[in-house]
Amino acid sequence: MVNRTELQTGSPTAVSAPRAPRPGVFFERHFGHLMPLPAALCISLLIIFPLAFNLYMSLQTWFVSSATPPRYVGLQNFAEIFGKDARFWNSMWITAEFTVISVLLELVLGLLIAVYLHRDFAGRGIVRTVMLLPMVSTPVAVALIWVIMFNPSLGILNYLLSLVGMKPLLWLGHPRTALPSLIFMDIWKWTPFMVLILHAGLQSLPFTPFEAALIDGASRWQLFRYVTLPLLRPTVAVALIFRTMDSLKTFDTIYVMTEGGPNNATEVLNIYVFETGFKYFHIGYASALAVILIIFVFAVNLLLIRVRERSWSY
Amino acid sequence: MIRRHMRLWLALPVFLASLLVLPGMSAAQRFDWQAFKGTSIRVMADTNASGEAIQANLPDFEKLTGIKVTYETFTEDQYRQKVLLELAAGTGAVDVFQTATAQEGLKFWRSGWYEPLDAYLKSSRLTDPSFDMADISKPALKGNTYDGKLVALPTTQQTTMLYYRKDLFEKHKIKVPQNFQELEEAAKKLNNTEEGGQKVVGIVLRGKKAAATSQWAPYLFSYGGNWLKDGKPAMNTPEAIQAFDFYGRLLRNYGPPGAVNYHWYECISLFVQGKAAMYTDVSNRIFFFEDPAKSQVVGKVGYALFPSGPGGRRPVMEVWSMAVSSKSKKKEAAYLFVQWAASKENVLKMHLKGVPSVRASSWKDPKFLSEQKHKDWIEASLKTLEIASTDWNPPVTAVSEVRDAVGEAIVSSILGEDVKAAANKANDEFVKIMEKTEGK
Repeated sequence: MVNRTELQTGSPTAVSAPRAPRPGVFFERHFGHLMPLPAALCISLLIIFPLAFNLYMSLQTWFVSSATPPRYVGLQNFAEIFGKDARFWNSMWITAEFTVISVLLELVLGLLIAVYLHRDFAGRGIVRTVMLLPMVSTPVAVALIWVIMFNPSLGILNYLLSLVGMKPLLWLGHPRTALPSLIFMDIWKWTPFMVLILHAGLQSLPFTPFEAALIDGASRWQLFRYVTLPLLRPTVAVALIFRTMDSLKTFDTIYVMTEGGPNNATEVLNIYVFETGFKYFHIGYASALAVILIIFVFAVNLLLIRVRERSWSY
Repeated sequence: MIRRHMRLWLALPVFLASLLVLPGMSAAQRFDWQAFKGTSIRVMADTNASGEAIQANLPDFEKLTGIKVTYETFTEDQYRQKVLLELAAGTGAVDVFQTATAQEGLKFWRSGWYEPLDAYLKSSRLTDPSFDMADISKPALKGNTYDGKLVALPTTQQTTMLYYRKDLFEKHKIKVPQNFQELEEAAKKLNNTEEGGQKVVGIVLRGKKAAATSQWAPYLFSYGGNWLKDGKPAMNTPEAIQAFDFYGRLLRNYGPPGAVNYHWYECISLFVQGKAAMYTDVSNRIFFFEDPAKSQVVGKVGYALFPSGPGGRRPVMEVWSMAVSSKSKKKEAAYLFVQWAASKENVLKMHLKGVPSVRASSWKDPKFLSEQKHKDWIEASLKTLEIASTDWNPPVTAVSEVRDAVGEAIVSSILGEDVKAAANKANDEFVKIMEKTEGK
């Protein structure tokens, strides 16, 4: 009642009376803190809690069976992973190989295509749109189509090879060719992402340095090498960070296409975590592996961000 | 008035007699499908053929018993995760679950998640007198027995069988292989032959790591090997090494390229396209092969017993069963469901739809015999039912993990790597896994 009269009359009496701050005042004073509260709550519920619980589980051993209840084992899981687990080191190595090769090739290809698209020509809009299709298509569906194309007896890729007189490959069917095949598919799928970011970067470059270089008589190659590339560095770094982060965590396409096979030849760390957790149900061990994966991804990206800040900024 | 009284007087002895009889009746405990009318139970099942066939017949059960059923199905991998987590949570939210004991039985039994069914089966109050246990395949029941307790009632089975292309065998004048040597010779002869304008491979088998192990098991047994010897992994015994070598050799020399990625799905695809001359796998493949909508080899497929090896003819049988959860709060109603699912009527109904039955009576059913034209399939199935082993998986708690380890040796063998080294590696892994998970 008092409040309403205050509102209606604008009487200052309430303000002059020293009282405990009313909810309204509290709300106004902490407005800036309160607004993000729902979001913060959601994040802590959906991200921080699972992370903390994962950390807790990584110190346990549990096979999801009532015969052997969860047992606290301290850092034993980690000791075993780093000390004895050959499959873990194998998966780390494959993750690194997969990420480095595919991201670098995507970067080079993406840069070439972006530079090519950064000119005026008829149908540029259509080409740009079509370019993006692999990236926006559903990973699992696309992976299934690639499985069919890779099939050594029924697939189209071996048919294409036979047209140019090459011997058929086993593609996903041999440990030596399986990982390169996956990288091939990854490049097809994610180069457009590089193009998208680098193309945007190119378009936002200032015009003056180019003008200056042209007046100084720089050739096209010199222009690209000494003006475009250095100016593009921050964009390249951002693209690299995004792709590396994603690539380290690749799961869907690899799982659909090889399930990590043949014989673990394409088992990246993420698939190993999944197999351990959801096929063998070693929940503690899988949690420990997941912790390592998180730290690994985090560390690599911290490194990339550092590199970007130190030497790549201009 | 008098008449009304008369009626009352007449009714009295009936009433008195019923007073005497009623307690007697409840002591005799007559079986009644309607005993739990109005209850509702929750059933979890796999989306495999038998899980879906039971789902299709649910109205029969609900009408018969008045019990309401919530039936949830999940694809195989999701199902395994889901049922495990539900049972481990121990809330009693699940009353009945479908189970393949060879896959998860030991783990579930040791965890105490199965309700033993022996007492229920003995109870004349809970079990239909016409249920007829003797009709159910003995090996299937044996496979569902742990420490002398029956944990689930089998509904359906699939047995190993040799599929071969009758037309190709006739054309090239080859006999149906009776043993491994003849199998390899036939594969060799038929490999790379042309038929209908396309190349045919000699044989197709599963080659994809863990997926291959269950179909490799009959080769292992027929060489005289086994998963365990005196309770310890036996993957590097001479018999097992021979089995790895033979299976890998068949696929490497006479199989499709890239066989290491072949799950059953790829095998079937190749076979129905007429690109493979032979295939050994479980018996329900007939329903793919003889389906004109899916298959180009309708009427061209012969069905034969799995060939014998140096250690005899040892095909395997995969059984799907229904079990009552030990944490269920409605165990008796749940048992009625399990009993109905495994009953003669329901199993026959599924059998007629192409989900092979575990009951001898279904195989003799006149309707089935008149509908199923492939007598060689019936004959091979029935013979296999007598001799099959239900150990298509290693009898351990960590089945998936061991399957992966053993599967690696199969893949190595297919790729032509050192089989002995691969077998030793698989065995070492197997030992490690058992130490870790069996706690002994």
